[in-house]
Amino acid sequence: MSQNPLRLLLDFDDRIQRDRDQPSAFLHRRDRRFALDCEQQGITPDASHWLAHMDRLSGPGGTVTAGGRELRLWRRVNGGFVAAGCLIGILTMLGLLFYDGGQRINITVILAFVLFQLLLALATTVQALVGWQPWRWLLRRFHRDHASPTRARLQPLLMARAAHAGGVAFSLAGLATLLVMVVVQDLAFGWSTTLDTAASGYHSLVNNLATPWSWLWPAAVPSLELVEATRFFRAASGTTGIDPSRWGQWWPFVVMLWLTWTVIPRVLLLILSQGLLRHRAARLLARHPGMQALLYRMETATLDTGSSHNDAADLPDTRTRSRPDLLPDTPIMICWAGAGEPELPQRLQAPDTRIFRAGGRATLAQDDEVLAQVGDQLAGQKAPAVIVVTRSWEPPTGELHDFLETARERWPSGARVTLLPLASDPNRPPETHLVQPWLRFTERLAPGFASVALPPTDEPDPYLAGSVQP
Amino acid sequence: MTTAPVFAVVGHPNKGKSSVVATLSQNDAIAIALEPGTTRARQDYPLTVDGQKLYTLVDTPGFQRPRRVLQWLEAHSISASDHPETVRAFVLQHRGDDRFVDECELLAPIVAGAGIIYVVDGSVPYSAEHEAEMTILRWTGRPSLALINSIGEDDYSDTWQSALGQFFQVVRKFDAVRAPFEQHLSLLRAFGQLEPDWEKPLERATRFLSEQRHQRRHQSAGLIARALEDLMSYQEKRTLTLNQVAETSDASLAETLRDRWYQHQRKREQTLRIDIEHLYQHQRIRRQEAELQWHSQHDLFSEDTRKHWAVSKRYLATAGFGAGAVGGAGIDAMTLGSSMGTGALVGGLIGAAGSYFYGDRLLLPALNIGPLKDGLKTASFGPVQDSQFGYVVLGRAVDHWWHISHRNHAGRDLLELEPADHHWLEQLDKTSRREIQRAFDRCRKQRPLTHQQRENLTAAIEQAMSAYDDWRLNRA
Repeated sequence: MSQNPLRLLLDFDDRIQRDRDQPSAFLHRRDRRFALDCEQQGITPDASHWLAHMDRLSGPGGTVTAGGRELRLWRRVNGGFVAAGCLIGILTMLGLLFYDGGQRINITVILAFVLFQLLLALATTVQALVGWQPWRWLLRRFHRDHASPTRARLQPLLMARAAHAGGVAFSLAGLATLLVMVVVQDLAFGWSTTLDTAASGYHSLVNNLATPWSWLWPAAVPSLELVEATRFFRAASGTTGIDPSRWGQWWPFVVMLWLTWTVIPRVLLLILSQGLLRHRAARLLARHPGMQALLYRMETATLDTGSSHNDAADLPDTRTRSRPDLLPDTPIMICWAGAGEPELPQRLQAPDTRIFRAGGRATLAQDDEVLAQVGDQLAGQKAPAVIVVTRSWEPPTGELHDFLETARERWPSGARVTLLPLASDPNRPPETHLVQPWLRFTERLAPGFASVALPPTDEPDPYLAGSVQP
Repeated sequence: MTTAPVFAVVGHPNKGKSSVVATLSQNDAIAIALEPGTTRARQDYPLTVDGQKLYTLVDTPGFQRPRRVLQWLEAHSISASDHPETVRAFVLQHRGDDRFVDECELLAPIVAGAGIIYVVDGSVPYSAEHEAEMTILRWTGRPSLALINSIGEDDYSDTWQSALGQFFQVVRKFDAVRAPFEQHLSLLRAFGQLEPDWEKPLERATRFLSEQRHQRRHQSAGLIARALEDLMSYQEKRTLTLNQVAETSDASLAETLRDRWYQHQRKREQTLRIDIEHLYQHQRIRRQEAELQWHSQHDLFSEDTRKHWAVSKRYLATAGFGAGAVGGAGIDAMTLGSSMGTGALVGGLIGAAGSYFYGDRLLLPALNIGPLKDGLKTASFGPVQDSQFGYVVLGRAVDHWWHISHRNHAGRDLLELEPADHHWLEQLDKTSRREIQRAFDRCRKQRPLTHQQRENLTAAIEQAMSAYDDWRLNRA
């Protein structure tokens, strides 16, 4: 994995964009796992390790990363700028050195052009630092996709780098052209200005400009005599009688001027923009919201609350086929597990009603005794029937099932049981959803043995009014 | 290292054992029904941190034949000291016995060392009929806690509380469907109090749960911010060829674009809903507003919704003043303060006036049908030019978030999102208002938000969530 901070940032930004739609629980699990693995191996987890880990897990043969794509694009842009710079550099220098043997090549024009180049280079850097992008529409046309905020922050610097690369190519091509022209042609330099300037003033200007190389190449610093001798006025026709070779003595100055004030600043600014780019990329990566989120995910333990088990679809069959029956006319009543306490509603009690208690707090032996007593009562009856009063809100249990199964075995054949679920207010009908389990309970007993009846109340029977509940 | 505590949630059938487990384990996929015997086998729900178990809740079936079990135990015991042994023997002997499947399922974790969470329903009258099962549980000798759940409307919890106190170390009320999150944590801490060794893991678990909840709130704000950004800047575009131009009138083109724009916006809102629900581990919520209908009461853009969720002119003016003042302050900075803050004031006034006069008109999003060029015609609809639209979406999103974050996983009811009857956003602080307004304005102009602006918007939405929370609290 490349350590190039720019590539790292672009890859990271792309990965975060791709993670956008992943569930946060998954991301947390994945990144925490990575952090724990790193801890085990004694590695400090960082962005480059993290990206390398992701790529390794996905296996070889992955497509080019976003960083790679972006860098390739910018390499192309840089290449374009360099090529254009070279071409324009050659043409510009040819233009500047245009000499048909008539007029001199004006040093003042070259000075002005060098100054313009310098200002242009500085403006490019300042613009990149400020983040102003007047050429944005052009990039948008190439890019098409919506740049992420991170890329948007990088664009001015990337563009500045491309511009400086073009500038360096421009200045080098210009320098090369200058040298070739010096060799293959006789160039006549002179200086000219409309301003009322003395040669000494002009000399001090060029002297100051030549300060950086005066110790290195004294011949490249024009002397006062040369300055005095090479002033020309376009209105004055012909030469002023000086040695033609003197016109050419300016060339070392021009070469050094171009090298020092055009080539070197551009190279320095190119290096600076490259450095700034790396610095900003590193800073953007550190401050990337995705990085903060990643660090949080790596540092925070994953929490699983036990939500993986799913049996929501595994619900019991709640279809009810039977319907409540009529309450039989029988004096035998068994109150199951405390039902009918403290006392049964009046309308359920007749003078001859015999009430037994079973289930709940009663012991199993007491239950047996109740079964035996009721069995005795039922013996010899034509249509033996028993009412078992229950609490509608306490659902039927295995104990009641056992009790009724035993009853069926012990009581005379043909005996029937009617379950009577009471509401907590026994004078009101039980809620329908509480009666349903009782109906289904009777379906699980021997066919025809048990049924459910609703307590007689003044209110209408919901089962008679509507259809069978599902 | 000590093993993580296990808590067996036991009780009579149909008393809400699964509901308690569903809420505490934040699992809405546990079968819950008003039918005895819905839980047929025990199921573990461990809480793990980085894969390490801190505690396990065990959901169990209810007691079916407690008196028969007790009779067996009593017949096989000589003194109180052999009670736990006898219960273990019962489980061993009856494993695979059809009559005692449920009892073995519920007693097995307890004899293996689990703590007992005994659940009763406090909405039905107390009865002493369950004493057999309570006695069995006491025989196991394990630490125990009784939980008074509430399934129905009535409340008999006080009588239950005094009665259960005789059998259990700790008795707590806990409504599995309605208990707020703080009560979940306090209940878990109570579990930890049952045995000295259990205190630390349960304390750790509650800390993690609390942090997770905090983080979820922040993540929700981020999700809402992203959705707002998408919705506010969305543009529906269509390019027509020469043939298509001939076939389609501008009016029908506008209609199609508008329909598609609305469709996209509704879909995006639904995605946000689902994202928030999944964040809070709600996978199976049924929402009232699943199908948004044009002109229906809960529609995103109906006049009625707007009346409920949109903010007042006064609110917009203050938010506008803030945004304008910031622009004006830039002028002050450029003049190095020599304009003495007039820039901020003038900017603020312009912003406020603009917001006051134009802000509350629910303008239709800009429809733009371009001229025929190179045999192609481009038409676009959106982004919405009225920031009220953003407030409508924000209001609905925060309301949904609030319901989801306060919904327990035992809840199986339909989630009805009714519009609020108050402009609660007006309780939001000025900085947050400004941040929201500024983000809306940027999106409207289809300028992407920077990371910093996005963070600010998220923070402002988090503030809005707090404001809504407070407003709900005060209203209740």
